[in-house]
Amino acid sequence: MARNPYLPYPARIDEVIVENEARDIKTFRLVFEDPKSAVEFDHLPGQFAELSLPGMGEAPFGIASSPTETDYLLFTIKRVGLFTTEIHSVEAGTAIGVRGPMGRPFPWDTMAGKNLLIIGGGFAFTTLRAAIKYILDPANRSRFGSILVIYGARTPGELMYKDELTEWQARDGIDVHLTVDHADEHWTQHEGVVTSLLGALKPSADNTLVLVCGPPIMIRFTLVSLATLGFSEDAIILSLEMRMKCGIGKCGRCNIGSKYVCKDGPVFTYQELRTLPTEY
Amino acid sequence: MTEKRIPHTDLDGLLGRLRERGAVYAPARDDAGDVALTQAPLDDPMVLEYRNFRLSPKAFFLPQSQTLLTFCDGEAHEPSLPDGETFLVGVRPCDAKALLALDKVFLDGDPPDPYYARLRETTTVIALACTRPMSSCFCTSVGGGPGDGAGADVLAVGLEADLLLRAQTPKGEELLSSVADLLADATDDAVKEAEKRVGAAESLIAPVEVDNSAQRLRDGYDSPCWETASQTCLGCGTCSFLCPTCHCFDITDELRGTRGRRVRTWDCCAYPLFTLHGSGHNPRPSPKERWRQRIMHKFRYAVENLDRLFCVGCGRCIRNCPASMDLRTVLRELGA
Amino acid sequence: MTPSHEIEARLRETAEELLREKRVDLFLGYEKATLPFRTTPLFLTSPEEVERLAWNPFCTTNLAVYLPRLFKAPASAREAERAPPLPTVAVVLKGCDARSAIALVQERQVPREKLVLVGVACPGMVDVRKAERALGEHEALGAGEDALGNIHVVVEDGREVTLPREEIVADACLECRAPTPSLPDVLVGEPVEGKDPDGARRQTDEFASKTLDDRWAHLQDELSKCIRCNACRQACPMCYCKECLLDQTRPRWVGTSTDMSDVTIYHLVRAFHMAGRCTECGACARACSMGIDTRLLTRKLGQEVEDLYGYRSGESADVLPALSAFDMDDAQDFLTEP
Ligand SMILES: Cc1cc2nc3c(=O)[nH]c(=O)nc-3n(C[C@H](O)[C@H](O)[C@H](O)COP(=O)(O)OP(=O)(O)OC[C@H]3O[C@@H](n4cnc5c(N)ncnc54)[C@H](O)[C@@H]3O)c2cc1C
Ligand code: SF4
Ligand code: SF4
Ligand code: FES
Repeated sequence: MARNPYLPYPARIDEVIVENEARDIKTFRLVFEDPKSAVEFDHLPGQFAELSLPGMGEAPFGIASSPTETDYLLFTIKRVGLFTTEIHSVEAGTAIGVRGPMGRPFPWDTMAGKNLLIIGGGFAFTTLRAAIKYILDPANRSRFGSILVIYGARTPGELMYKDELTEWQARDGIDVHLTVDHADEHWTQHEGVVTSLLGALKPSADNTLVLVCGPPIMIRFTLVSLATLGFSEDAIILSLEMRMKCGIGKCGRCNIGSKYVCKDGPVFTYQELRTLPTEY
Repeated sequence: MTEKRIPHTDLDGLLGRLRERGAVYAPARDDAGDVALTQAPLDDPMVLEYRNFRLSPKAFFLPQSQTLLTFCDGEAHEPSLPDGETFLVGVRPCDAKALLALDKVFLDGDPPDPYYARLRETTTVIALACTRPMSSCFCTSVGGGPGDGAGADVLAVGLEADLLLRAQTPKGEELLSSVADLLADATDDAVKEAEKRVGAAESLIAPVEVDNSAQRLRDGYDSPCWETASQTCLGCGTCSFLCPTCHCFDITDELRGTRGRRVRTWDCCAYPLFTLHGSGHNPRPSPKERWRQRIMHKFRYAVENLDRLFCVGCGRCIRNCPASMDLRTVLRELGA
Repeated sequence: MTPSHEIEARLRETAEELLREKRVDLFLGYEKATLPFRTTPLFLTSPEEVERLAWNPFCTTNLAVYLPRLFKAPASAREAERAPPLPTVAVVLKGCDARSAIALVQERQVPREKLVLVGVACPGMVDVRKAERALGEHEALGAGEDALGNIHVVVEDGREVTLPREEIVADACLECRAPTPSLPDVLVGEPVEGKDPDGARRQTDEFASKTLDDRWAHLQDELSKCIRCNACRQACPMCYCKECLLDQTRPRWVGTSTDMSDVTIYHLVRAFHMAGRCTECGACARACSMGIDTRLLTRKLGQEVEDLYGYRSGESADVLPALSAFDMDDAQDFLTEP
């Protein structure tokens, strides 16, 4: 019989990493209790999962690790409400439930052979991290052209995955540019919003697809800049967030027009989004 | 398709036989004088004269509160699924048809919902054709009708002295054959009488223009009528909770000590909290967007996604809205 | 009793004048609904459309429920800057509705100077469910009122049925203590007297005289019908909280299920928050599609406050609500000697 879609895979929190100065964003490293679950949980960057603490609730989070990181799953979670506060209070060793993977990943088939421009803002960088790790895996890197990453946060202390950012900036095969809205005395890189860095770098739209994840306001301005740079609507790939419960197209909570973000998304091209009502 | 006849006087015998197999819910009058599907004791004769029940039978398939998982010492367990049979007798054709809509979401959807699937599997629906529709009924405009048996396992039509029974599904066939000794063959006269009665009921129902509603609602997305129509909406859940096709739900956890459960409960798109994000942002911030969502879901989104209207014209939302809103009004205004 | 059609004409004149002279931005009244025995609230902004205004025995909705949302305080200073100026609103109010409007003024939810209270002396409104039940298995196609105030109904087979008004009037109306609005800016219709002003007490007294077990059993029996649709709360003009305790998730005080424990807490919380605030309009009970008398508890607690503090909500715009006021000689032994 098919697995009950409401029954989570049992997993354990292996490690908790504080990501930012405000200490309201943490990355959780999860290991499945049963190695078989890890095999069944077959995901691609861009997908999400429902995490739950028994009796404390359940909520959807983008998968921040790449399937090439085979021993664990990563989720980066900002503390905002009931469940997120609860999970922020637990320590390594805590049991946790994982349902998924859910949703449509980034369009990896279309992305093959293309240059990629990856634009992230704030804590929405999670699935973009998964994408970058996936692309940089030796088995995958040759499938893609040049990789340009632009990542911004409000302050240097709010940038996540700092060690990896440093590592990526140092290595070949990827070009990573960082920016912060408000620099401090140690900051030597770009200062200003993401779009100002985008304007300065002027990436070419030629044979290039863009992945954009960030707060709504950043997305709005980024779309304008991308249009100016000549990117077409079907070359821009976005990931949406809606309130979700079931994650499997039944509870009726996450629709935008006739699309269910949990099933038909969360990844959409800008062209697809343009055909939907603006209720997001 | 088997067609049989049973005299009204033998109905109690039929119910008795069903009771031997499982739980039987049949129409009975409650203290307040309303007829409701009731697990009545044997000696109550089945009520045949009623319009429709206040509550739709959807709760038999999608209970208002349903335990999805239980927790014990931090471990999640699946609750055991019911395996006894249930018989719903006297469900109206609109409400039976609504099951086909729910099936699209909970059975045909990928993945299927195991809880709904089990309740659907163990429940047999015997519908009873309507003879006296209400002024709020519009089933004939949304692909149904007072004598439509779609969604039911058996359709019964009340005649002068008999009920005509028509099997609609293999489950219905099995049921009729299991009580064959109580049944007589349907005569041509009985079939004709049934047709006449259903036809008479049909003629009493005022049509609502819903042809091509998906296209017309696409065109009417920005119509000012949403604002005017929704001004009076109080934001309660009466329409959704009484509607036989509304199926949106919430999932919440409960914990007491080391034991708890994950429970799903009916929810409603008219509630502001339904779509409120953690950040405080709300994609459907006012009654306008929320009321539009309800109509769009039923008459456009469901058509686009599942090729089916999610309204069966039962009129419950119209009769029971505390502000007397009527979705037929906006459908007319939009020509949808 | 002033005939309904005269009241209707006066309401239309009043609305026309107020809107034409731009003394109000919005006139809140009633319009005929699509089904018999019902009206639907009408938000009127143009003097040309006053013919849509209706007055008949089916004007049940307490229109005061719409006032708080029209005067909602801006969420932030930034929003306040962009917020349009507050509207001036005329609203049609029956006796009980007027109490709600005044109570909202008392509780600082709506500014009195932005309101034009159009009071109608109310002969008691028809309860849809009573009317439909009185017809048995007949279906009304249309309903109107005769000169005596009785209800004429045309049923599906074309016959006419007369339903005596007092048999189908809402419970809240039967026991209404103030059918003529106090303190209106405009009063339409000859003042009327309450039919059975002691009725309200009788029902709650009867409830109170039962044993504790019987009271509990009665409540459980009634509440077992509840489907948690929130209609009672949403129809109540005094339930305006921006974030209702019953919706809160951090922590979640009340479970979302229809288990008796959750349903009971839901109703007890609502009742407690109505102590000294319920205006006895019966909107909650009428809104309940399951026919639960949600008013029993709220009214009981209203009466407790009345007995303890001599306070009834919505009787004067200048008096502080009982729960907002404190006096050294306030009754308090109910706290210490339960
Ligand atoms: C596809 C997808 C991917 C996502 N990926 C990530 C990710 O990678 N990382 C991440 O951090 N988040 C992510 N999110 C967002 C995340 O799901 C939400 O932050 C999370 O569901 C919040 O759950 P909660 O229980 O903490 O909030 P809740 O407490 O459930 O809050 C729920 C609602 O209640 C309201 N609420 C709660 N408390 C109050 C209060 N005191 N007053 C008023 N209203 C209140 C909130 O506004 C909110 O709308 C993602 C969401 C989606 C849909
Ligand atoms: S929308 Fe209204 S009329 Fe249509 S099925 Fe639902 S309750 Fe019945
Ligand atoms: S209106 Fe009735 S059914 Fe709905 S929550 Fe209130 S008491 Fe319960
Ligand atoms: S989260 Fe339930 S339908 Fe999308």
